[in-house]
Amino acid sequence: MVTREDVENIALLSKLFVPEEELDSLTQSMQEIIDFADTINNAPASGDSFDNINNLSNVFREDEAVQSYSSEEILKNAPEQAESHFLVRNRE
Amino acid sequence: MKYELVAGFETHIELATKTKIFCGCSTEFGGAPNSHCCPICIGLPGTLPKLNREVVRYGIKAGLATHGEIAEVSKMDRKNYCYPDLSKAYQISQLYAPLSIGGYVELSNGRKIRLHHIHIEEDAGKLIHQHGDTYVDYNRGGVPLIEIVSEPDIRSVDEAREYVEKLQQVMRYIGISDCRMQEGSMRCDVNISVRPQGSEALGTRTEIKNMNSINNIAKAMEYEYERQVDLIESGGRVVQETLRYDDSTNTTSSMRSKEDAHDYRYFRDPDLVTINVSHEEVEEIKKSLPELPAEKCKRYVEELEIPDKDAQLLTKYRKISEYFDAACEGVKSPKTVSNFIIGQIFRRTETESDKEEFDVKVTPQQLNELVKLIDSGKIRNNLAKSTLEKMLDTGKGTLEFISESDMGGIDENTMLELCKQAIECNPKAVDDYKGGKEKALKALLGNVMKNSRGKADATAAEAKLRELIG
Repeated sequence: MVTREDVENIALLSKLFVPEEELDSLTQSMQEIIDFADTINNAPASGDSFDNINNLSNVFREDEAVQSYSSEEILKNAPEQAESHFLVRNRE
Repeated sequence: MKYELVAGFETHIELATKTKIFCGCSTEFGGAPNSHCCPICIGLPGTLPKLNREVVRYGIKAGLATHGEIAEVSKMDRKNYCYPDLSKAYQISQLYAPLSIGGYVELSNGRKIRLHHIHIEEDAGKLIHQHGDTYVDYNRGGVPLIEIVSEPDIRSVDEAREYVEKLQQVMRYIGISDCRMQEGSMRCDVNISVRPQGSEALGTRTEIKNMNSINNIAKAMEYEYERQVDLIESGGRVVQETLRYDDSTNTTSSMRSKEDAHDYRYFRDPDLVTINVSHEEVEEIKKSLPELPAEKCKRYVEELEIPDKDAQLLTKYRKISEYFDAACEGVKSPKTVSNFIIGQIFRRTETESDKEEFDVKVTPQQLNELVKLIDSGKIRNNLAKSTLEKMLDTGKGTLEFISESDMGGIDENTMLELCKQAIECNPKAVDDYKGGKEKALKALLGNVMKNSRGKADATAAEAKLRELIG
């Protein structure tokens, strides 16, 4: 069962603000989502069959260096940057 | 009431592979910020990680060197948490099927600190907090780590210290990490609790995070032990929480935030396939491992008759022990070799990092030649000592400093004759010695040395005199 406290906690962890009046309807919605996902439990399969669907193993790369990107390139999509670092502002 | 300390360690060790765990970026320490990065290790959507084969091999080595059992099947899992050091919002790690299970680290008091498991995972980026803002450098993000998780078997600060030192030593021996705590290539989290002496149940534990020196670990544990005992004695209760140790004030403080209510929602990483390790591969890696420090130490004590304390010193770093092994090749008295190394050579490699490097001007082969001259009675110990000094100064070999005439030491028969002669000619000294005057022996010894023109080995001559007089 999804509880109001679960919703509050998930909101906190995902850094979302949920207004008090939406808590009940969200709790119900989340319960419905979970119920929907539960359909998968009815599928006739053991836990392992879905563990790794393509059944591959031991795909490795050798320990050989390749050229990294330049820091300009790496930082290109950063919302904010300073002194070649990603900059994360304190929102509190 | 008396209390007992109970501690377990989670030790992170950065592996010395050339490249990161899931991409070909360099793992080199230092470097301009964000210059060892690519779309995979900064976690851009749509990228696909591919496991570095060497990371698995290094992990297997670590497992074997700590007596663990290597899992035939192991898997990578996602550990979800949201923090800027982790761009993907999850760390790729192992929870359900780690690479190595069990094992132990044996301490000098004979106690075995059991290991729960060893797993492989990626390191997170480095954060610099300044004026409330956070600067992120992902060069370290994706650097391969092993995490060695011990059982709560540690019972004292001294045991903790030795446990960390032993891990450091063995991981350096097998060459998978330099384990430099000050550079962050080895970091420890300590879980610590206290309980009344004799009690079986575990107390509530706290976790001290990310300590970067053995001294800090010791100080933090001492502080935390006292704090918990005081708390219980005054009727309080230890709260399970994560702590930070501040070495400037020597105190621990809570790191707890609202977000500490972690639920990591671990699940199998669908981007990475199963790791199968065959029995043959494990055997092959086992064969490639060098003789480990504990085995070496045992061999030095039992086979070479080196005192335990000296054997510890010789095996502390792999290079010293390899130097010793090479210098011992075919010599009669490994103890002599050991004495030269621990005495004269250590005086020239004073710091720990000098000892680790062990870059000595005299090659082990040159030391070997010198010791063989003593073995064959050609030179005496004192001459060997001063010669070694000159060799260490110049890097030149034994023959540069010892002439043929120096090597005319005396053989056993001559020594016996000289001693007999000294006894016959000095009946008074003999009587005095028999009467308990230890000093009188010196007179006899002086006589032997004089008649051998300084070539006799004083220690051997003294022993022979004592034997003859009885």
